[in-house]
Amino acid sequence: MGNFEPKIVAFLCNWCAYAGADLAGVSRMQYPPNIRTVRVMCSGRVDPVFIIKAFKQGCDGVLVAG
Amino acid sequence: MLDIAGIGKERLHLAWVSSAEAQRFVEIVTDVTESIKSQGKFDPESFVFELDAAEITLASETLRWMVGKEVKITTHGDVYGRNWDKESFESILDSALEREYQMNLIFQAIKQGCKSVRDISSEIGLDLMRVSHLLADMEKRSIVEFAGMEDRKPVFAAL
Repeated sequence: MGNFEPKIVAFLCNWCAYAGADLAGVSRMQYPPNIRTVRVMCSGRVDPVFIIKAFKQGCDGVLVAG
Repeated sequence: MLDIAGIGKERLHLAWVSSAEAQRFVEIVTDVTESIKSQGKFDPESFVFELDAAEITLASETLRWMVGKEVKITTHGDVYGRNWDKESFESILDSALEREYQMNLIFQAIKQGCKSVRDISSEIGLDLMRVSHLLADMEKRSIVEFAGMEDRKPVFAAL
């Protein structure tokens, strides 16, 4: 594998996962930098088509957290 | 959908994280990153057909209606008064998904220039019988039209 750094698109719901990520940041917790966050107001907003589009644009993985 | 398209459902992760669970968020991100790292780089160039067909399938009315009606049909029964449990409904949904996806794949292949059943079959990797069967349905739905015979093989065109 060597130096492969995946690009992961993370759809985070504003009230839960994004706030959790924020708390992790404020508490100075370290985590891998490979995720690119997209804040949504509710994880229900994430349409399956978004996920396909993310792959089309070249991401290696998708996380939906609510 | 990702499994049917050959991309693999392991590339998509769902997690429930509350705003107080910062440590859990860190663990989830670390696990997901590890999992994707071990799966390697995703090359969209080698999945062009599959991604386009997947996008069209997921955006289409058929699937959206089925998903939308799932709760009603599994709790109150369908319009004929039959009761459906969740597993039976979901297996119908899965076969509808596969069917719609394969039809869209065929459509993409025809748009790219494949015309006969054999061409389409070798381009998308689906067997001849299945391609034939789906083309007949697509013709009924006016998605493709029978465009004549070449070398005694039927050819199709997109509408």
